[in-house]
Amino acid sequence: MTKRIHCLGISFFMILILFSLQPLLYSEEDLHSVWVIKDCRIVPLSGPQIEKGVVVLRDGLIEAVGASVSIPPDAEILDGSKLTVYPGLIDALGQSLLKLPEEKFDAAKFYSGEFTDKDRGIVPELRAFDHVNLRKAALEKYHRFGITGAQVMPQRGILTGQSSIFSLSSSDKNKALLQKDRALGIGFSPGVFMTYPNSLMGIISYLKQELTDASYYKMKMDRWEKERKGLSRSAYSPKMEILSSYTAGKKPVVFLCRSQHDIRRALSLASELKLNFLICDLGNEAFKAIPELKKAKARVLCTLTFKAPATSVHAQLGREERKKAEEELYSKNPAKLAEAGIPFAFSSLGNDDPKSFMEAVQKAIENGLSREKALEALTVQAASFLGLEQAMGTLEEGKIANLALIEGEILTKEAKVRYVFADGQKFELKEAKVKEGEKPTVNVTGKWEFSIEAGPGTMKLTVDFMQEEASLSGTMTSPFGVFDFTGGSVVGNEIYFEMTLAAGGQEIDLYFSAVVEGDTMEGSVVQGTAGSAEFTAKRIPS
Amino acid sequence: MKKNILLSVFISVFILAGTSFSSGAENSLLLKNGNVITISGETIMGGDILIKGRKIAEVSKNIQGGPNTKIIDLEGKWVMPGIIDSHSHIAIEGGVNEMGSLMTPEVDIKDVIYPEDINIFYALTGGVTTIHTMHGSGNPIGGRGIVLKLRWGKSAEEMIFKGAPLTIKWALGENPKRTNFSLPGQARYPKTRMGVEASIRNELERAKDYLSKWEDYKKTLKAKKGQKPLPPRKDYRLEVIADMLRGKYWIRCHGYQSEEMLSILHLCEEYGLKLVCFEHGLEGYRITNELVKHKVAVSTFADFWSYKWEAYHTMPHAVALMAQRGVLVAINSDDPERMRHLFVDAAKAVRFGGLSELEALKTLTINPAIIMGIEKQTGTIEPGKDADLAVFNRHPLDPYTVCQMTLVDGEVYFDRAKYLEDRKKAEEEKKKKEEEAKKPQEKKQKREV
Repeated sequence: MTKRIHCLGISFFMILILFSLQPLLYSEEDLHSVWVIKDCRIVPLSGPQIEKGVVVLRDGLIEAVGASVSIPPDAEILDGSKLTVYPGLIDALGQSLLKLPEEKFDAAKFYSGEFTDKDRGIVPELRAFDHVNLRKAALEKYHRFGITGAQVMPQRGILTGQSSIFSLSSSDKNKALLQKDRALGIGFSPGVFMTYPNSLMGIISYLKQELTDASYYKMKMDRWEKERKGLSRSAYSPKMEILSSYTAGKKPVVFLCRSQHDIRRALSLASELKLNFLICDLGNEAFKAIPELKKAKARVLCTLTFKAPATSVHAQLGREERKKAEEELYSKNPAKLAEAGIPFAFSSLGNDDPKSFMEAVQKAIENGLSREKALEALTVQAASFLGLEQAMGTLEEGKIANLALIEGEILTKEAKVRYVFADGQKFELKEAKVKEGEKPTVNVTGKWEFSIEAGPGTMKLTVDFMQEEASLSGTMTSPFGVFDFTGGSVVGNEIYFEMTLAAGGQEIDLYFSAVVEGDTMEGSVVQGTAGSAEFTAKRIPS
Repeated sequence: MKKNILLSVFISVFILAGTSFSSGAENSLLLKNGNVITISGETIMGGDILIKGRKIAEVSKNIQGGPNTKIIDLEGKWVMPGIIDSHSHIAIEGGVNEMGSLMTPEVDIKDVIYPEDINIFYALTGGVTTIHTMHGSGNPIGGRGIVLKLRWGKSAEEMIFKGAPLTIKWALGENPKRTNFSLPGQARYPKTRMGVEASIRNELERAKDYLSKWEDYKKTLKAKKGQKPLPPRKDYRLEVIADMLRGKYWIRCHGYQSEEMLSILHLCEEYGLKLVCFEHGLEGYRITNELVKHKVAVSTFADFWSYKWEAYHTMPHAVALMAQRGVLVAINSDDPERMRHLFVDAAKAVRFGGLSELEALKTLTINPAIIMGIEKQTGTIEPGKDADLAVFNRHPLDPYTVCQMTLVDGEVYFDRAKYLEDRKKAEEEKKKKEEEAKKPQEKKQKREV
């Protein structure tokens, strides 16, 4: 009975929202296929900067870039006189767009001993494509920092799954997809205790055996394809089939390295097994393995958390030493890679939120990385690592129309992203409701009554906020259930939070933003794929 | 007198500052006026050691260095060969046992050397310069071990003792049987001593089959008749066992009880395996004739027993009894803390077992070196050997002795005086910073007042 009420509740809410929706002005999907940005400064990265020029986009591609390009008559024109056009930025490896199903481990397995590969952290069949969630609000988060492309990869376990690359142009993942099953993640953390392998040395041995088996499987299958007589065939194995596409230097694997030592382990595995590989420097310690990286001609996916791993000698010497090392050494990791001439792109792993990711890029620049190198890492280098250098990374005729239109210089604190184009579609970024970096001027901690204007009626619900400085969490009590949220933010007098309503087998993502005036607030709620509704809220006196 | 010693330490620190003897034959270092326990010969009171590059060049009295020779005046301190710990589990990352499977010879400590393990530094403070670090005793056949020189601050690759024979860890008794701990899940085979031995035998037979499969394949390939055959699947686990059968690995077998040790001696004899040493071997004193006959050493503790049933039947005389009857004995740590005072453990063999001082010191130096197959490079103070040295303020077997300095390959990796001075400086600096941080606050408070 209760379940039924939940179902009714949630569909009621959905109906309310769906009826009340104003068309969302954020993207202008499919309205125009030809765009001209004129009188803009252009930084194509494929050639010299153009002080005042024109960029023509047609059907999702860049048609022309130059100082004197004639404007097609069928084009919609965007005045770029205050703007600089850059290639859209690329997050070379992230996971924040991924929504993996919750894993519940069945403790009974400890007694039956019947562990699955999943328990062991061996999930090459886990495809980012199947679990990606390109919600509009999430896309906007990326767009706000000029990011229009991202590689998404699961990163839990040993064989962590396969990545996909998306152009951040649409919530429809089929449209947004650039490359499916691009890279295989390899991690160094064991799965459930007592499964094999459960030690680091076991993982390394396991990887050698498993990837060698994959090559053997492929060889056996290939021979059986050709010689049907006199040869035994392999039993069909989906796992081996996947793995064999990553052996023998074919598709790339990404080693998720927690420290300089993992990096060396990865390099030695790659060389022994002849893998096409990328090093993801989760431990921010690539700078400690520069000679080896150089020798192996390794490409590094540089994460930007600047934290010293627990294995580092600094961490073992106590908190102060660790902090000191992080400030003096780890924050210079990207700068040192650049200095050593090691090719690197940036990965948002560990930062996850595009905002903190791009703030971290700033920090890398403050710590000696040139802005040019940082930009290269986010564009040309990233595109090349993803195998998409033909399609992305610079502003050239024929490339995908992924652009960032910026007021000010890119990768500076003053820069304001005004528009991005992704696959030739314009996304306008209104003056951020939330002004970056501003301290909260309100405290919303306590209970609030929300009235959501939902077309035919008003929906009432209660939210109990917990605000600690700029971060916001809380609980929403609604007619269809109680839901918690975390990760919200308060900037100035504006709040932002998102939550997922799950009931009756459905999940709905909601994004709330509001301006607070004393004991009232006014704002809007965006529902993942459908649109938005306005609301007001009043503080309930305690 | 005390003041003088302190002063000289500080002077030597100053002399040392900025020197590096990492490589190059030009670097030479002269340790003067030490009591040199060479192990290989007489102890030289007031002797000198000349080091050129990584090696010991000369050991005698009144050596004159060249114009570029750095000099450290030992002022009557004691020098012995760097301590060698033949049974250790430090400098390993991500687990010492691979518990997910019964037989795990495929795993290799070499893959998971952890050169930043702070225990390496602590070991240096106790005069240890070389260790054999290895897989735990969870499995009848565990993983492969590695010999490391404690070149603290260097990479894993640079720490590996080049030329040291490869080792593999076996284990008998309560650990592989899982007698003293229960892990969730079904009981694992083997549960008995006979099971442990049978599991090893079974694996050896599997490896023999594996080898013959490959030989058949190679033969068919050579015959070049008809269809090209499919190669057998490469099995990393059996490859190692096969290499063990070929004599590539020196077996280090964990065992406590004499019956188990005897039975494994015979198994290894049967398969022609190179069993080098019993680890712990607490009951080894009961089978000294057999150990001597089979040339199998024991790497053990001085006085650590009774922590489980199979470890009951020994005594602090065991080391002396075995050594006196010709068994090659090493005293090991098996533990990062014990590693810092192995010299105290050696002294126990003198105190309780009546072992000679020289024989006791051998259990920390040349004996483990022989067990690890590195006796040509280290383990004594002789010209031509690696300059791995430990300097003590008193005789190393004196209960009040403290290790002052440790050299590996002629390079000072630990200098107590310098270390203490650095620490003092760091503390002063920290204090200064804290005081500075306080000042503006005080001003602020005043203003507010």
